[in-house]
Amino acid sequence: MERYDLIVVGAGPSGLSASIEAAKRGMKVIVFDENEKPGGQLFKQIHKFFGSKEHHAKIRGFKIGEELLKEADELGVEVVLNATVMGLYIDKEVTVRIGDGINHYKGDTIIVATGAAENMVTFPGWTLPGVIGAGAAQTMMNLHGIKPGNRVLMLGTGNVGLVVSFQLIQAGCEVVALVDAAPRVGGYGVHAAKVARTGVPFYLSHTIKEAEGDEFITGVTIHEVDSTFTPIPGTEKHFDVDTICMAVGLSPMSQLLKMAGCEMEDNPKRGGQVPIIDDYGRTSVPGIIAAGDVSGIEEASSAMIEGKMAGVCAAEYLGYCTEKELEETLKVLENDLESLRQGMFAPKNRGKQIEKTEEGIDISTNLLKKGYVTDEEIERFPGVTHKVGVHPVMECTQNIPCNPCQDACKKGCISIGENITNLPFVKNDSECINCGMCVASCSGQAIFLVDEDAGEGKATVTLPYEFLPLPAVGTRGFGLSREGKIVCDAEVLSVKSVPAFDHTNLLTISVPKEYAMRARFFKVG
Amino acid sequence: MEYRIAEHPILGVQEKGRKVTFTYDGKTIDGFEGEPIAAALKAHGLLIHRYTKKEHKPRGIFCAIGRCTDCVMVVDGVPNIRTCITPLKEGMVINTQYGVSDKPFEEQ
Repeated sequence: MERYDLIVVGAGPSGLSASIEAAKRGMKVIVFDENEKPGGQLFKQIHKFFGSKEHHAKIRGFKIGEELLKEADELGVEVVLNATVMGLYIDKEVTVRIGDGINHYKGDTIIVATGAAENMVTFPGWTLPGVIGAGAAQTMMNLHGIKPGNRVLMLGTGNVGLVVSFQLIQAGCEVVALVDAAPRVGGYGVHAAKVARTGVPFYLSHTIKEAEGDEFITGVTIHEVDSTFTPIPGTEKHFDVDTICMAVGLSPMSQLLKMAGCEMEDNPKRGGQVPIIDDYGRTSVPGIIAAGDVSGIEEASSAMIEGKMAGVCAAEYLGYCTEKELEETLKVLENDLESLRQGMFAPKNRGKQIEKTEEGIDISTNLLKKGYVTDEEIERFPGVTHKVGVHPVMECTQNIPCNPCQDACKKGCISIGENITNLPFVKNDSECINCGMCVASCSGQAIFLVDEDAGEGKATVTLPYEFLPLPAVGTRGFGLSREGKIVCDAEVLSVKSVPAFDHTNLLTISVPKEYAMRARFFKVG
Repeated sequence: MEYRIAEHPILGVQEKGRKVTFTYDGKTIDGFEGEPIAAALKAHGLLIHRYTKKEHKPRGIFCAIGRCTDCVMVVDGVPNIRTCITPLKEGMVINTQYGVSDKPFEEQ
């Protein structure tokens, strides 16, 4: 039996963050992960993260994963892969399956950071090959370079469903529809909007009736549901698809904590069976700490902070740091976490129907029902203003904790203020130099540079573009509305791709003047 | 139909191991060393990994991270191998699994 100061179960964002904090304070740390590669789900996250600088905002998930791994490695953290922790027993004894053998370890502290598993819904045909989890789609396309399918229907409009739909399009798949039984889009409006403007229709208050196919999926039928989720006869719609992707929530994988004798509760707000913990993840068993999705479903940014908290708590428990240091560190981390848990998607607001932004502006109802803000609605948000010459138009309409745009503009055109959930607004006294940094920095791809009168009856729109092939200058095509419908002719005037944009290319298109505030995507003609 | 992503707008060109051949239900096909067996099969458009024991229903990739066991096949004579997390090696013999055997039900 080998003994460690700290055993961490799970090498995802929270487990790695925990191990780094503990190792920094001199602890001997080992991390077990059942997967072949470390990083948990981070390496499948290819979008830019939200939040503020301290939350790794505007950095893509897999880059954050690389940074965490490097840091853990430099601190001498032992990461054992293909190692499944099977049991967590009294006195913090741990059994781990590695290869064909069962190994026995003892930790003086344990951090359980096992994450979550995907939920599923069942319908006739759901077991056919071609019905997959959204996580499977991400794994196949972003880790292994394989398209999960050619024509895909996505079930679920939470952030996972929205983000994975966008990634499917980036991988070259066609997403035929986004379907959700809920009456409103569950994820960030900006994630919905960037999918909708490519032309993907949203079907809220709809669910899958059945999947078709004998040996594998060949089609799917959806139908509308009423407010009690009862299907409405006669509302069926059919799609030819080869793949159905499910993104219907996550459940904490908390079995080890239960096994260890930690007090548990069934808490739907946190996603299911979770340990009862204090504000820093400490369970009812002294020295066993939970971090990340296992203690309540959130996302990777908060999981990393929870991991750090757990790491420091473990260090203090064994005397590797003083109570004073613990308190001071936790205070800083608590602030970071608190700033992420603000806005309309905060855990405390789960299940609530929010009708106005913190600024008192009516939320776009169309965004919640159809995935895009209408031409009329967009004008009431503070990021959308009209000016002579090129200026940023920020179609950011919900209070979410995110502020990279404010730092991106070196001219100080964009302001969010102290509270990072504020909607951005354009400062009138500053001059836009058309550098495009705000467009590329917006994790929600909601910023456009618009010149409403570029002469000769034309306007120009600069938009973020993360697809291949990249259209060449001079390519003619169409301007697509926020709804993803063709509204006008368009021509590519310039394509900018510089390292500072981190793979977000900036396409400047020329459109008829009257479409300056309507054309938001480009489609090759 | 091409399932491999030639170039990805964010990830670029995927780094893969060397090209190897293996057998799938008696046919020789190729894939890249080290990628999951399931990925190599999917690249060829092969979706059915097994048929269930009782109802003989087809199953394929579902979770792709080794949890659900829907994608198990008979690999080098051993049944119940999770193909989504088992790396491909040169010369592997991979067969569709019927129940827990590589023999079709009518031959069992």
